[in-house]
Formats: sequence, C-alpha cells, structure tokens
Amino acid sequence: MSELVRLTEVTKVYQGGITGALNGVSVTVDKGEFTAIMGPSGSGKSTMLNLVAGLDRPTSGTITVGGTDLSTLGEAGLATFRRDHIGFVFQFFYLLPNLTALENVLIPAQLKGNPPTGRARELLDQLDIKEVADRYPARLSGGQQQRVAIARALINRPTLLLADEPTGALDTHTGDQVMELLGGLHRDGQTILLVTHDPKLATRHAARVISVKDGKIADDARLESPERAPSEVIRVRSEEAPR
Amino acid sequence: MRAIFVKTLADLRRRRLQAAVIFATAFLATGTGTMALMIVSQTGDPFKIAFQAQRGAHLQVFFDPRSDTGMLAGTPSLIGATAYGGPYRATDVQFQSGGHKYVVTTIGRDNPNGDVEQLRITAGHWPAGANEIALTRSFADLNHISIGERLKVVSVPQEPVLTVAAEVVDIDEAQASITSQHAWVLASAIAPLIAKDSSSYLMTYRFASDPTTAQLKADLDKVSAALPPGSITSSVNYLFIRSIFNVANQAIISSLIAFSVFAIAATAAIVANLVTGIVISGYREIGIMKAVGFTPSQVVSVFVLQILIPTAAACALGIPAGTILSQPLLANSSQALGLAYQATFSPALDLLALGGALLIVTIAALLPALRAGLLKPAVVIANAMAPRGQSGRWLRRLASRLGLPRPLVLGLGDAVGRPLRAILTLLTIFVGVATIVVALGEARSFDGIYTYEAHAGKVDVVIYRSPAFTDVEATQLINSQPETARLVAQTTATIAVPRIVDPVYSLIFRGDSSTLGYLLTTGRWISGPGEVVAPRGLLQDAHLKVGDTFTGTFRGSALNLRVVGEVYDFLGGPGGHELILDWSTINAIVPDLAPSTYQITAKPGSNIDAYVKRIAAAEPDLLDVQANHTGVSSGLGMIDGVLLAIAVVIALIAVAGIFNTLLLNTRERMRDTATLKALGMSPRQVIGMVASSAGLMALVGGLAAVPAGIALSRALFDLVGNIGGVDTPSAAYGVYAAWELIAILVGGLVVAVAAAMIPGRWAARTNVVEVLRAE
Amino acid sequence: MSLKYGVLGLLKEEPLHGYEVKNRFEAMLGGTWELNIGQVYTTLQRLERDGLVRPVGPRGDRGKLLYELSPDGQKALNQWLAEPDTGPQQLHEDIYVKLLLATRIANGDLQPMLARQKRTYLQRLRDLNRLEERARRDGRIDLARLVRGALLHTEADLKWMDELSSERFGTEGAARP
Repeated sequence: MSELVRLTEVTKVYQGGITGALNGVSVTVDKGEFTAIMGPSGSGKSTMLNLVAGLDRPTSGTITVGGTDLSTLGEAGLATFRRDHIGFVFQFFYLLPNLTALENVLIPAQLKGNPPTGRARELLDQLDIKEVADRYPARLSGGQQQRVAIARALINRPTLLLADEPTGALDTHTGDQVMELLGGLHRDGQTILLVTHDPKLATRHAARVISVKDGKIADDARLESPERAPSEVIRVRSEEAPR
Repeated sequence: MRAIFVKTLADLRRRRLQAAVIFATAFLATGTGTMALMIVSQTGDPFKIAFQAQRGAHLQVFFDPRSDTGMLAGTPSLIGATAYGGPYRATDVQFQSGGHKYVVTTIGRDNPNGDVEQLRITAGHWPAGANEIALTRSFADLNHISIGERLKVVSVPQEPVLTVAAEVVDIDEAQASITSQHAWVLASAIAPLIAKDSSSYLMTYRFASDPTTAQLKADLDKVSAALPPGSITSSVNYLFIRSIFNVANQAIISSLIAFSVFAIAATAAIVANLVTGIVISGYREIGIMKAVGFTPSQVVSVFVLQILIPTAAACALGIPAGTILSQPLLANSSQALGLAYQATFSPALDLLALGGALLIVTIAALLPALRAGLLKPAVVIANAMAPRGQSGRWLRRLASRLGLPRPLVLGLGDAVGRPLRAILTLLTIFVGVATIVVALGEARSFDGIYTYEAHAGKVDVVIYRSPAFTDVEATQLINSQPETARLVAQTTATIAVPRIVDPVYSLIFRGDSSTLGYLLTTGRWISGPGEVVAPRGLLQDAHLKVGDTFTGTFRGSALNLRVVGEVYDFLGGPGGHELILDWSTINAIVPDLAPSTYQITAKPGSNIDAYVKRIAAAEPDLLDVQANHTGVSSGLGMIDGVLLAIAVVIALIAVAGIFNTLLLNTRERMRDTATLKALGMSPRQVIGMVASSAGLMALVGGLAAVPAGIALSRALFDLVGNIGGVDTPSAAYGVYAAWELIAILVGGLVVAVAAAMIPGRWAARTNVVEVLRAE
Repeated sequence: MSLKYGVLGLLKEEPLHGYEVKNRFEAMLGGTWELNIGQVYTTLQRLERDGLVRPVGPRGDRGKLLYELSPDGQKALNQWLAEPDTGPQQLHEDIYVKLLLATRIANGDLQPMLARQKRTYLQRLRDLNRLEERARRDGRIDLARLVRGALLHTEADLKWMDELSSERFGTEGAARP
C-alpha cells in the first residue's frame, strides 16, 4: 500500500483564535483506504479536510498529498492541484444554481480545458440520475443534488475524494443511499476521506476511524471486519420474574 | 423610530464600501449637476445679466465737439434717463504696434465705475498716469497686445507713446472682430491725443426700464431737437449691441445650455440606476427584516435612509464644490462670450440642486423598496434567492461554441444572468459613452460653424477698405498681385422684406460667391440678378418657399426678388433673418454702392505672409490686410474645454456606477465563486470571469451608445440651429474620425475591465473556507 | 423483555404449535435471543393456567398441541401493547459502574479507560453496521430494525464517553447526598 496523504505536525490557528483549530496533528493515509474523521463540532475535523484539499494553508507543519508538498504551491498551483487531484463533496452540495446538472458536473473538466461530455453522462448514469442532466439544481431533490455533486467530484478522476458531512442536509433514507454510493466507489478503489460527527456513518464503510478533539487526534482506530453472527453482536434479554 | 435609525446606522457601518461608493457618486453627480445648473442659469440670457450687472448704457450718443457741455449735461433729464455718463471727450486714435496700425476711439474717463457703463477690469489697473491707456479685452486678444506693451500713437504729430495698463470688458460694445473698439485714457490725458478738430463728446444714458426701438428713436429726436442742428454725429443703442451679441454667440449659448441640460439628465440617470440597483440587491435583507418584524414602512425607511444619508453628506460637499468649480468654467464661457466674468453664487440654485438630488435619489430608492416592502417576507426572500442566470444559457452555449475558455464563458453568462441588473448596467455605460460622443460631436460641430463662417480653405486673405481709398484702386491693387487667383468683394445693407418688421440684414457679393463654400439645404446658389438665398428663419417668418418671388425695398426702391435656395448661415441676422444676393441685383439701382470687404483666394503654393505684407505696405493707412483667421479662437477652445470637462466627469460618474454594480455582483456571487475556486479555478481565471462580465457590458453598451451619441449630438446641433433660425444640412455636422469612435469604444472596454480588476482581485483572494463556512 | 407477551403476540397472528412459536420468535429476533424449547412450553402452560391461551383441537402426533389466544388473552395482550414502558431506564452493562468508580478513584487511568471503551464501541458499531447491511440484503427487516435500535444505543453510549472525556474529575466525593 502506498502512502497518499501525510500530515506532519500540522497546526492551524485562525485569526482571533486563542487555541488552534488544529494543534500539531500528524497522520498518514494510504491509497485505497476509506478513512473516517470523526469529532464534535469545532474539533478541527473539517479544518483537516480543508488543509488536505489545499483550500487553506496550515500555520505550521507540512502537508504532502501524492508526493507533493502543498506549501510549495502558490494560489494558482493549489487551484490546479485541487482541480486535478481532489474531488470534494460538501454538506450543502454547493452546485452552481445557474448551470444545469450536466454543466455542473463538467465544470472541473472544463476548467482544465477538455470537457468530456461522454464521461459526464456516464457518471450521471452510474449515479442513477441520468434523466436530470438538463435540469437546474433548484428543481432537484437534495439527494439528486448531492449525487450531481459526487459526479462533479469524480469527473477528473481524483486521487482523493473528500466528503464533509455529505449526508448532513439529507433525510436518513437518502443519506443512506449516498453512503452506499461512497461505499461502492471505495470498493472500486477510490481513496476516500469522510468527515462526520455521526459515529454510525463513520463506521459504516470505513475501516479506520480517526477521532479528533480540540484540534488533536484523540484516537486512530483500525477496525476489523469479520463476519459475525447476530447473537455475537446483540443480545436481547428476558426480565421475566419467576411465577 | 429609534429602531429605524439604529438599523440604518448599523448597516451603514457594515457596508462601508457601498456607502463610500454612494457618497463618491453622489458627490460627483451633485457637483456636476450644480455646475450644469449654474451654466444654464448664467448662460440663459448672459447679455441681459451682464448688462444689468454692469449698468449698461441703453443709448450712447456722440456729439459734435463744438457742443456746449452744459447743454449736453442737461439732455438726460430731457429724455427721462435715470442715470447718465459724460460728457466725455473722445477722439479716433491711430497707433502702431508690431508693424500693424490700429484705430480705436479713445475716450477720456477717470472712473471705470459709476452709474452707467461700468467697465470691468479683467487685467491690470485703470490708467493712473497720462501715458497709460486701457484697451478692451477682445481687442487685446484679437491683436495679441499685452499689458505693459508700448503703443506709438501715429495720428498726432508728437507721436506720444502710451503704455497698455488695463484690459477691460465693456458691455456696450460688440467684439473686436465685429466692430471697432473703444479705449480709455484719463480725462486729463485726452487732449494731446486729439488730432486737429477730430474729436467729439460722448454721452451715455440709462433708463429705469428697457426702452423699445421706437422710444429710443423718439429720445434721439428729442435730444436732437434740443440742440443746434447737426450736433449728433452718431449713436448706438443697446438693442443693436444685444442683437450682435446674440447672433455671434447664439451657437455657444445654445450649445452650452443644451449640453448642460443633457448633462443633468445623464447624471440623474446614472445615479438613479445606481440607487435602484443597490436596493434591488438588498431584497434578501428586506425579506429578513420583514420576517423579524419590521413593518413595511419601517423597512422602506431603513433602505431609503441608508442611501439618503451618504447622499446628503455628499451634497453638503458636492454642491459647494460644484459652485466653486463652476466658477472657472463660467469664467471661461464668459470670456468666450466676450463678457466680463462675475463670481456668482446663487443660494436659490444651490437649494434647487440639493432638492433635486435628494428627490431623485429618494424616488429611485423608494420605488423598488416599496415594491419589496409590500410583498410577503417569504416571497421577497424567495425572489432574492431565486436562481438566476438561466437566461444566460444561450449566451454560454454561444460562447463555448466560439471556443472561449470556461471562466470567460461563465462570466459572460453571469452578465446576462440577472436581466434587470444587466439592463441597468448597460444603461449606465450607455449614458457614459454617449455623453463623451455627444461632447466630442458638439465641440466638433461647433468648431465647424466657425471655420465654415470664416470660409476656411476657400479664402486666404481678407482686406477691409477705408473710404479714403476707392474701390477701383483697391480692386486694381489686388488684381495686380500675381498670387491673386480669385476675388469676391462684399458689403452689407438692409433690405425691407414683406411681413418682416425690421429691415433685413443683407450680404451683397460681387464676384463668384459660389466659391465661398456656403451650404444649401434646398435649392441652388444665386447665379444672377434678382436671385436671393436666405436661411430658414427668414423664409419661415416671411412665408416664403424656394421658388417664390417677393418685392424687397432697398433705399426706397423696389426690388423684384426670387428665392432660389435656402442657405445655412449661422451668423446672419437674429432668428435667421438674412438675405444673400449678387451685386448685379443692386447695381442697377445704386451704382455708387461700393464693397468694403475683399475676400481673396490665392493661387496654390503662394506665400500668404509675403502677400499680406506687400499689400499692407502698399497702403498701410487705408487698408487693413489680414490673413484669414480660420483657426478656432481661444474662446472656442475654452468652450470645447468646458464641454469635454463635463463629459469626463459624467464618464467618471458612470465608472463609479459600474464599479458599484460589479462590487454588488461579486459580493452576491461570493458563494458560487468560492465553490468554483474549491473545484480548482485559479485566481487568474476568477479575475477573467469577472472581467469578461464587465467587458461584455461595456462592449454592448458602447456599441449601442456610439450611434446613439452621434444621433443625439446631431439632434442637439439641430436644436441649436433651430434656435438660430437655420436648418442644418448634413454636411455641417461635426465629423468623427473612425479611429476616434473606435478609441472611445475600446477606451470604454478598457475602463470597464480595469474597474473589474478590483472586485475581481478581491474575489480571487477571499478565503474559500471562510466564505463557505459563513453560509 | 417478556417472553409471555411475546408468545401472546405471536399467537394473535394465528394459532401455533409450541415449536412454531420458538422458531418464529427466534426468526423475529434474528438470532439475538436463543430460546430453549422448554422455556416456551413452560410459558405456554402458565398462560393456559391463567386462561390467556387455550388449546385448539386434540393433541396431534407426538403429543403436539395447537394453541390459540383466548378472549382474556386478547385483552391482556392489548393492555400490554397499549401501555408504554414506564419502568426506569435499564443500564445493565458493567461500564456504568466501572466508570462511576473510576471517576472517583481518578488514578490517572480514566482517560485511557474511556478511550479503550470508546474504541470497543466503535468496533461494535462497525459490526452492527455490517449486520444491518446483511439483514437488509437478506430481506430480514425485523432484524434490520432491531440492529438500528442497537446502533443508536451504542451511539448514545459513545456520546456519554465523549462527555465524560471532557469533564474535570476529583470532586466526586465532596458532596455527600
């Protein structure tokens, strides 16, 4: 397994903040892993994701993704890096309201200059939303929008797929569907970093759960996935009083 | 009530940049508006204003030098004059300067002020000694004589030397290019300048109310009757001066007023645009406020106040600034008009400007605010958050088909995405570019009038003949010169035309007058006896058409005249009352009529300077020989300057308006821009996106504005012509060089893109995380 | 959870033999409660004694009786169904007492203890997730729902761990009730 992401003593302090959003975090993520980053709000989990995506710069420490030290890149360089290597799925989808679903999906590729309309339609088909290609986001349900967002994140075949609370704005059932999609992508080999506050979601597909608290890594658990019988997992007990 | 103010002030503090833009725009706008208002009010009837201010003389009479000064002093009460000046001793003085000889009527006077005919000193000081002389400013400008220059008087044997001490403006005289001028020395200094018995006495009279021609004639008769016969040698009344003034300056006055009114309208349009755009962009805020509990009237008040407060502050600075800055402009236009400049401050006008500005801004803010205030909060918010930009799809498709890079395609789509705001922005650009085109056109057309009237390119030398030198001698002298190619001589007269009250000013040409380059709107030029051409004003008032015949009266004799064409002549009589005819028409009746002006066209390649010097040397005293002044005078240059200065300020206001729109747009699209940056749009691409949006607006607005501006400029010029009683032929319109129009268009594009840089850079630099977090 | 009412509820659907009751009950609970047939028969006899169920028809082969719900049984079942669980929250697991003790003892081992327990819970969540996935795939909706309930309980416990992690300890002995 090759290493894909490495954070070394990364600290991020926001202006006006007394304590840092991240305090000296070091962690590595391997290719093909599905890693969940979990923690309460304000713990720094989203910050970690943003730093890995190059959306923000650490106050100190280094971040290396796919062999590239992000601190060597300027703003334009980071933009290109994001475009070529990162797929980001947000909690609130952030689709451009004045573009159709298909156009939204194509954007990262068009920014590169080679819009592969075929692949975009393929992705929409894979994600089961082929029929909404020409609709505007306002006319799509939350689940459909998030799927468009996932297609958008995948169009440039990113090395890393980052998802920040992707089911946060969805109802449980739709959220489950989205998680299924992510699970499927992982089975096909996609490296995924998922940020969530919900431990149920964190453990659904991820075999590794990094718990973050107060800007530090509180725990880095690699979980096992054996086949277990129901009674090994749940025991329902009787309270019947003897008569 | 308190809640309104608290919210308003909080919002203003938060949106400092927007308040600053409103302030800057309103400041420029009220400044410009005030300037324009001042120009309109001062230029409306400039002669009348100056005449009042300088207590001009309604009547000036020159008397025989043997008259009894006591009797002269008694004439004012005879005719009921409320104020008088004189009797002043006066004489015609010829002096020499720079190889030229000049004649001025010199008057002995100690006090430039007084009850009548106050002289405004525009440079230097009133003569303090016997060897000092004051000249009129227009005379000094025309002949390039400056303060301190020494003039040798050659009309008296002693040939005293006088030093020019002052330049003055005399409201009771026309410009030096039209009539001979007065000059002044101290009363004690006039005697040595009088050449044997060629002096006179001058009396100036002023009445309580402006007298009519008939009254003035009656007054003159009374004075004449009270004195020995032949006492009156000549007289001039204010009506004559005024008509010359108006005719000469009609073009300037009308242009200034027309353009100033246009400027006020343009300014108002831009400010209204700006304000409307701001309120519309605040719809989401309005919705939230209503949801929180503000009543509709409270909501509207907050919004209107937010805009009024910076506006009022801007007015407080802009109106005084406009008043102060308008003074140099007014000084320039006064000088161009040949008047003395008075610093004028009109509190009434300032109040009008203040009221107008506040009213326009309030209405522009009120209308959209009311609309939002009356809707249900949810509707307003939905309205504000409604996805826009779907109307931009066709443009995006077109642009991508053209192969433009994606950021530009997105930017272009954005530009059209919000149709209402796009239209408002387009209007602003349209007004800004059109104003520059109009200003250029006005200045050009305007300069064109003067070069046209001076027969630029057709006449090389103009000679004025003194009566002591005969016509035959003059013609012979001119024709004997080898360079003389063509000679057209002219004189002026008055001819009575049926249905016209006053005798009509007439130009009589001897020679091939068709070569002078007059433009005809219909018909043809005169080709023989009995034919006349006239401007539209005369034809209209006399109910004549081309082809009609009428009987004119010249010196009591009847003339059978036929109208063969309608001519374009700005400097004819007032209201376009003028006749142009050939010598052959008059010659039969008045054989001794002789031309006084000779217009000479030289053979190509001739040395005009040598020609002029030679003829002047031949007859230095009796002929005034000059190369044709075809250049634009400094006065005109000033008016051009005024027009262009106003145009530039308006363009600046337009730029401020566009800048604000760009700022609003960028701020609104912050979330989408952050998303794009997260997806990998580089800073350069972001800037390109914003710039292409601005660029498209500038291109479309500019392309529409240029032809519109040209049309508007012509319409304004037509208006000016109509006031002067002429119909403008298309050849008379100012001509734009193609490169100029392209430069204006490109300039607009460059400015728009440059203005887009600031919001663009800001958008490129904002932190994605912070923006997306704030949602 | 009471076996008695579980049996009554199953008999409400249709009359059943004793072994059928055992099978259905186990199926419903997806293997999370293994019953012994003796318990089932004992319960059935008690219910018959109390008049809540009655046999239907004669004893079949091998002495197997079909039982059905009596009107009294119906009433008792409805009453039980209608009543909400009003008893106290049952906290059976050792961890509750363990932690309460640990917070008083505060021998510096609390945070690691919490961490260990949390990790265990994470693993349990993972297992529950996979179980739920399998149950849905196999169409066993009852089990899936049960697992869901278990997931939420485990999540709640995890949350308690988190809260405890953030607290300051040392004053537990101070206030004596």
